[in-house]
Amino acid sequence: MADSLLSSPGLTTYDILSRHGVSRRDFLSFCAITAASLGLEAQQVPAVVEALETKPRLPVIWLHGLECTCCSESFIRSSHPIAQDVVLNMISLDYDDTLQAAAGHQVEQIRKDLIEQAKRGETEYVLAVEGNAPTKDGGVYCTVAGETFLDVLRETAEHAKFVIAWGSCACNGCVQAAAPNPTGARPVHECITGKPIVKVPGCPPIAEVMTGVLTYVLTFGRLPELDRVGRPKMFYKQRLHDKCLRRSFFDAGQFVESWDDDGARKGWCLYKMGCRGPTTYNSCATFKWNGGVSWPIGSGHGCIGCSEENFWDDGPFYSRLAKTPLPGIEATPQKVGIALTAAAGVGIAAHLAALAIKRGRAAATENKAKEA
Amino acid sequence: MSQITAPYAAAPAEPIFKQELVWQWPIRLFHWLNALAFVVLFLTGLYISDPIFSPAGEAYGNQTMGYVRMTHFIAAAVFTVGFFWRICWFWLGNRYARSGFPYVWRARWWRNLVRQTWDYLRLDFGHVHMGHNALAGLAYTLVPVIGGWVMILTGLALFGQSNPDGFWDSLCGWVIPMLGGGLRTHMWHHLVAWLFLVFAIVHVYIVVLDGTQQRNGLISSMISGRKFYPADEKPGSHDED
Ligand code: HEM
Ligand code: SF4
Ligand code: SF4
Repeated sequence: MADSLLSSPGLTTYDILSRHGVSRRDFLSFCAITAASLGLEAQQVPAVVEALETKPRLPVIWLHGLECTCCSESFIRSSHPIAQDVVLNMISLDYDDTLQAAAGHQVEQIRKDLIEQAKRGETEYVLAVEGNAPTKDGGVYCTVAGETFLDVLRETAEHAKFVIAWGSCACNGCVQAAAPNPTGARPVHECITGKPIVKVPGCPPIAEVMTGVLTYVLTFGRLPELDRVGRPKMFYKQRLHDKCLRRSFFDAGQFVESWDDDGARKGWCLYKMGCRGPTTYNSCATFKWNGGVSWPIGSGHGCIGCSEENFWDDGPFYSRLAKTPLPGIEATPQKVGIALTAAAGVGIAAHLAALAIKRGRAAATENKAKEA
Repeated sequence: MSQITAPYAAAPAEPIFKQELVWQWPIRLFHWLNALAFVVLFLTGLYISDPIFSPAGEAYGNQTMGYVRMTHFIAAAVFTVGFFWRICWFWLGNRYARSGFPYVWRARWWRNLVRQTWDYLRLDFGHVHMGHNALAGLAYTLVPVIGGWVMILTGLALFGQSNPDGFWDSLCGWVIPMLGGGLRTHMWHHLVAWLFLVFAIVHVYIVVLDGTQQRNGLISSMISGRKFYPADEKPGSHDED
């Protein structure tokens, strides 16, 4: 990584790779795999090859805000033997306060220099953001090198070509923005304006998805096609539920009822255990995790919807539905509904009883009047 | 009993009651299709939410959840078409098709609302309407109309989730980010379903109560379309617009 800092910016990815001893064959294989994972047609592979061979690497500034660094952890575990190498070298990762070897003023200077160069139109850079910015009290709850992260983020975004929001923190707030959100943490798109943003949610995002997005961006110099909420369609166009290996049990109506029952042993659907697959868009069912070893639902645990907004607040994780957001009512809609229905029943009974009493009284006075 | 001593009196020359067509057939058709669709939607919806019975045997031989969901979607189609059909008849129908509608900018509607609420509270059934009274109109607007919009929009948005580039998602998918995600959309769809049940229970209670107390043909009117009014009054003279 220090290497990418020191390397001259004019080099192409292929230059760097061959310097690292990656063979032409491995390079082509990487291009083909990447093109496939991006959903490109076979004819497009040469475009990927050509871009990586000829385009100078795009400088990337990778900022870390309020976060746990799980995105970086995921990223550096890309599964293809040379993927992590390729990607880390492919981008000229000019600033990443977690991964780079340099430290202190020297590093901050790199960031400022790059911004200055971009201002003068001498270079372009991509801003990748991991984590988000606390906005309460002037943003003091996250400061980097004496500046609030909110300022750093805005300053760096202003001259960036576009912005990549890594992980659920940057995309929709994640745990630090969960209620009651004491530091006022806000996702990236709520902190900056006027920049194209690609959101790569997940806690963390899958390594292959991260490298895939980066490769696309570097190959074609633009953002991939995005969905309604700004996620790349190629990786977030499908719910886990629609590609799940347990789906046939869902359709059949066969569900795990407790973690140690017969259904659990038979691999039945985890819907009743709170699985969020039916509302979660991510690539877990496709790429799986840790180089395709397994994934949560494959291992017998429901999805918690880590790539969806509000997933921390929409608990409990092991209940089928989110609790109602009605103030003071910590219950599922089913409980609220039963209570409302019971209340209606009580109201009707009371009305009927009052009616009977009124009628009884009226009859009694009538009788008295007759007797008299 | 004791008053009827003479043999049955001959029918009076002038009728004491007259009838008027209040609910035209499109309204009645809507009403019963909607009632049927709601019952099916609610029962299948509860199963979708909490599948309590589970078939034995292998998955390939069963399709329980699949069929329940399919039934929900067919009933949803009936519900949705009926909903817009009824909205069209708000304008196409007779004056009673608009009765009770919350004309909040008219003082008369508010007066009618207060009066009707007060009548129910003090257990008085003297005040007969041909169409809907203001309180009924308010209840219909809150649950079947506004609630109906919620059910249709959230329902179609959830329906579209399996194909994000498809027709239903393009039409209604914006609902999901607006409500804060797919799970919250399920939550609202489910919560409002219960409001429909509460509405249905109270609705049936009031209809039976009013119908048996006022004896103006309220209950049968949703089949025959007709209600009775005293012959010496103008039809619908108690009604708001
Ligand atoms: C008054 C009318 C309706 C009622 C009472 C009703 C009731 C319900 C209930 C209780 C659920 C379970 C929610 C959950 O726990 O996740 C549900 C699910 C659902 N409903 Fe409805 N619904 C109605 C109308 C509609 C309409 C108009 C549509 C449009 C297509 C629709 C589509 C759906 C879908 C797609 C689901 C989710 C199914 C799944 O996740 O597999 N519903 N409904
Ligand atoms: S385990 Fe989850 S994602 Fe898979 S079919 Fe069941 S509910 Fe859907
Ligand atoms: S299965 Fe669900 S919770 Fe687990 S990583 Fe994938 S999206 Fe996140």
